[in-house]
Amino acid sequence: MARVLVADDSETILLLLRTRLEMEGHEVETAADGRQVVDAVRSAPAGPDLLLLDAMMPRMSGIDALRELRDDGFDMPALIVSAHKQGADGDGEGELAISGYVNKPIDFERLFERIAELTER
Amino acid sequence: MIGVARFIEQRQHFENATAHSYQAEIDARDRLAAGEQAPAAARASIIAQQQRRQSLRDEISSQTRDTALLVGAGLIAGLTGAALLFSGLISSMRRPLEELVEASGRLAGGDLDARVKVGGLSETAALGAAFNEMAGELQRRAGERDQLERMKDEFVLTASHELRSPLTSVQGFAELLMLEREKLSGKQAETVEIILDNTRHLGRLLNDLLDLARSDAGRLQIKPAPTDVATLVEDAVRTMRAQTEAGGQTLIEEVEPGLSPVNADADRIRQVLVNLLTNAHEYCPEGASIRVTAARAGAEVEIAVIDDGPGIPKDQLEHVFERFTRGDAGLTQHVGGTGLGLAISKSLVELHGGTIAAESIEGHGSTFRVRLPTAAAPDRAGAGQAAEAR
Repeated sequence: MARVLVADDSETILLLLRTRLEMEGHEVETAADGRQVVDAVRSAPAGPDLLLLDAMMPRMSGIDALRELRDDGFDMPALIVSAHKQGADGDGEGELAISGYVNKPIDFERLFERIAELTER
Repeated sequence: MIGVARFIEQRQHFENATAHSYQAEIDARDRLAAGEQAPAAARASIIAQQQRRQSLRDEISSQTRDTALLVGAGLIAGLTGAALLFSGLISSMRRPLEELVEASGRLAGGDLDARVKVGGLSETAALGAAFNEMAGELQRRAGERDQLERMKDEFVLTASHELRSPLTSVQGFAELLMLEREKLSGKQAETVEIILDNTRHLGRLLNDLLDLARSDAGRLQIKPAPTDVATLVEDAVRTMRAQTEAGGQTLIEEVEPGLSPVNADADRIRQVLVNLLTNAHEYCPEGASIRVTAARAGAEVEIAVIDDGPGIPKDQLEHVFERFTRGDAGLTQHVGGTGLGLAISKSLVELHGGTIAAESIEGHGSTFRVRLPTAAAPDRAGAGQAAEAR
């Protein structure tokens, strides 16, 4: 199972994501904004295996956090949680190497499948 | 006029001279009769007066002819001048009028920058100024309207975005409860099921509103690619199978073999087909039959969803693709649609360069036909490129 870093500015959403992911057997770390995501990844260079970042967060967005991490050379897969339905494919090989988008409300079965695909290598 | 005045003067002179000559002849005749003058001299004097009058007449008639010529020429010159003046007047009116006609045409065609040069006669200048003022006002109002439209679109986009987070929580935690269904009482499980049904409905409504707002803002995008029709139909039917079976309805698929691929965004066309099938399912009673057919139609492929349900009353049929149009209240009690599905379906199909149409006879079912260009006819939706439409 994977170590997942989840970031969202809503505590309720974090609780929901943590609960569901842990029930699937994943190890979950949480962050309330992009700044915390960058700090968490830098301080523990071994993990996480996957980032699940809300696109819009105060202080620093998930996209900006990802940009900083990619500049640092971190290449773990990243899924972006976004309210917008479109662009569900991500930019793949693009600058930010986004593996895909997760739409709200979250389809957990699809999310679990995607996480499994991205982390079982 | 000088010619006429001179003519009158000459005439006066002619008449005076003639009268004078007659008097001289009469005097000569009197002198002859009275024997005051020698007859030969008197007769010579009489003849001289007659000759003088003849020469006066010759002179006056020649002068009359000259004057007439002069007056005629003057008249012609005057008329010509007037005509020239008038045509100058016309052309000085015609150019601004032509410009106004041209600018009006542009304005009517939507070019709100259309203005005319103000000048020339005061009347046409005033007309031009009034036109420019009107065009300016139209442009200002159009600008305000565009801004309002943008604000509305932004509002809907933001609102549907903001509503998603709480919806995600409600739906997520309700699903969490259902994962431990065995720990819930029957009543509790039923209650959670109702919460879930309604959150899914709310989710669909938000997606539909978002699609419509995108469509209005010209931001609804499709990514068409050659797509197998049979796969599209199968996917949509598979999505709906459980629901139609639960409703005791038969769902039949009839796809003509060997159809050309259509130029379509598979996700979006599946959305359209699922929407049509959902409507058929929800509006048809138990035991109804729903068919999905796909067949060649010239350079296009026609996918039809045909049911034998209650049909659509004639007065509602023409409005089915409008927003928030729903079937009769009596029927919609158990129908979970948003009233936006067909409006979005229409936008999506038209974005593909296709058409959608509804046919129905009340009491004898409904048919919805979607026609899509085949991938072999690329220019209608711009093959492989994201198309955009309002």
